[in-house]
Amino acid sequence: MDPLDDNLPRRQVLKAAVAAGGVSALSACLDMASSEPVPTGDPNAKPSRQHAWREYIRHDEHGNSQLPKHQILLYIIFDEDGQPSADTRLILEQALTGLDRAYEWSHKGLLHSIAYSPSYFERFDQSLPENVDLPRPTALSPFESPTFDTQDAVIHLASDRADVVLEAEQALRGEQDQVNGVSVEARLTDVATIDSRRTGFVGAGLPAQHQDAAGIPDSNPVPEASPLFMGFEAGFKGNQATEDYVTIQNGPFAGATTKVIANLRQRLDDWYDEQSFEERVTEMFSPGHADKGLVKGVGSNLGSDSGIDQFIGDIESDAKAHNRVGHAQKAARANRDADGNVKLLRRHFESTDDIGSDQKVASLHFPSLQRRITDFEDVRRAMNGTDLTKVTPAIRQRVNNGILEYIFVRRRGNFLVPPRRHREVPTPQPES
Amino acid sequence: MEMSGTGKQGDYAFGLMYSYAHRFWNVNGDSVSKTEIQNGDDVHLMATVWDPETMTVLPETGLSVEIYRDDSLVSQEAIYPMLSQPMGFHYGANFGLDGDGEYTVRLSVGALPTRRSGAFQGRFSEPTTVEIPFEYSQQAKEEIMVKQMEDESGTPGAVDPMKMEMMPSSTAPAEDDLPGRVIGSGMSNDAKFVVTVLDTPPAGIDGDGQYVAVSARSRYNRMILPAMGLEGTLSRGGETVYEGEFVRTLDPDLNYHYGAVVTGVEPGDKLLLQTTVQPQTARHEGYETAFGGLMGGMEDVTITAE
Repeated sequence: MDPLDDNLPRRQVLKAAVAAGGVSALSACLDMASSEPVPTGDPNAKPSRQHAWREYIRHDEHGNSQLPKHQILLYIIFDEDGQPSADTRLILEQALTGLDRAYEWSHKGLLHSIAYSPSYFERFDQSLPENVDLPRPTALSPFESPTFDTQDAVIHLASDRADVVLEAEQALRGEQDQVNGVSVEARLTDVATIDSRRTGFVGAGLPAQHQDAAGIPDSNPVPEASPLFMGFEAGFKGNQATEDYVTIQNGPFAGATTKVIANLRQRLDDWYDEQSFEERVTEMFSPGHADKGLVKGVGSNLGSDSGIDQFIGDIESDAKAHNRVGHAQKAARANRDADGNVKLLRRHFESTDDIGSDQKVASLHFPSLQRRITDFEDVRRAMNGTDLTKVTPAIRQRVNNGILEYIFVRRRGNFLVPPRRHREVPTPQPES
Repeated sequence: MEMSGTGKQGDYAFGLMYSYAHRFWNVNGDSVSKTEIQNGDDVHLMATVWDPETMTVLPETGLSVEIYRDDSLVSQEAIYPMLSQPMGFHYGANFGLDGDGEYTVRLSVGALPTRRSGAFQGRFSEPTTVEIPFEYSQQAKEEIMVKQMEDESGTPGAVDPMKMEMMPSSTAPAEDDLPGRVIGSGMSNDAKFVVTVLDTPPAGIDGDGQYVAVSARSRYNRMILPAMGLEGTLSRGGETVYEGEFVRTLDPDLNYHYGAVVTGVEPGDKLLLQTTVQPQTARHEGYETAFGGLMGGMEDVTITAE
């Protein structure tokens, strides 16, 4: 049965969609009524970087990127052992080119990428070039024991249209002959197995709509205007790396970037029910943000920069004076280079996936792009605030220590997002 | 209170207990706020973490709890360190459950951020998780409540510590059992500071000179009082010999204490101890006005070395 056939009675559509793809599928069906035509694409008109989003998505009035509303992550394992064959390469190329043809590269169409893990590159005898920093994933805090995603690759599908990401997935699975009027010539699942499927959403309205998930108190606290479950905007332009900055500049993988994807369970009962708005501002941004009343509502008034840089130096005195420190304040300490440039480009989105179960539990998929995986690791370690627990016992391992009390890392994987020219099963040393 | 079970993993042993939901007082710096029992709170879950080799209770590990019923997540929280008269130091929180039956509780600790010395160096440095089955029945819980009422006597002092056969209590060493030379003690808001001097710092603590250890314990029950900020000034005839932090430290012999390396301590020296941050542990009823709590901070203590 085709879950996207809108001739089916609505209830059947809903049921089929939920079975096919949970939250996103359901949203897709809700969107269906007002579907406008989706623009088709030209494989020759795609950017050379798979991670090129910024020019192709919406921005708010401050120039902040508005991430595509609906996203799917497909973690895949190639069926062959050892080095991928020419057949695998060909099928993958046809499958991805099919998506290129079916959809414009934009939030109205589809942004998609495939990224490869350290385990994938271990299929080869050669090692990666020295300027590609792609270690295996590891625990990054003294209190987490995540399961590591060591599948070969992850395919990331993103669009403002739920029906587009679902349909693109159907194409990869070969469950549709045609998507957006373009025929499907190859299916990914002929050469690879989808080991894990994860879905999510981001943008004002969607978290509020999905706040019936476990982990969010019954008081429906998530503001309609919030793009994320925790009630604040994130990823202000001034606090994000540029795509240029996170791009590997030289060598065979020039044009690539590295991608860490974590999945975090969110437990927001105490965040919303035990804490005041000022306390949430303190823990998300910094005590200075709360003292000066810098954040109104979900924080749109911050414009294009959270202003966090001016509160980094105060962190130890904040810890002593306020018995709390801010999440952004801690992380920013390691997220600037010597010239003050931001190192990470965060593209996190919300989810109600509870990986490994069918339960709806609030979670966060956290893709972060950076030139080197080590850059991410440094920022994450700064976010642990372990040094601040020594400054005062009021700052504990997870309590009063930014937002650590409310987030539980369950998964982490490291990947290389090759440039488009090397996106099909690259060797560790592809010819440029 | 009922014992649900124990578990052991890596460097850590765990005990899980439960009782009826309790109100308690949360402490952040000097700000103390009452957490009332919420609608839907069924139990107060408590956990103790200790070293199975020395039976030393480990405060400050950080502890989070996941509760599952038939593989379905019921709750998950980072829970708070707490002090109660019968239990001393433990971790606890109120939770709502899904009725009578079998649950699985996963307890996770983080690496201990506290400075360690002696044979504790390098231990307790990895996170770990144990699973402990938890059987809940409302009737059994109500029986605990009735028994508790019968036991209440209204005498001053503190309720006697519970004796749990399967796990150690968070008792500080008796004065006579402390290593080194005990030079005196003082009382601050029902916290007793016993000061002992070791001729050299325990292994793993840098510095040349003597080691002054302040063992802070509850006045009546000798329960350790962890997670304070403590500053000290040692003076001799009006001259300051040492001024600075007494660092939170866990040692197999001294147990949890606050320590500083000084050039030396002589009889007649004055040691002024100032609690800059009261114990950052939530308080069960009966301890809400002790060791700071609702009283705000704790008074300074001056000890003249014997």
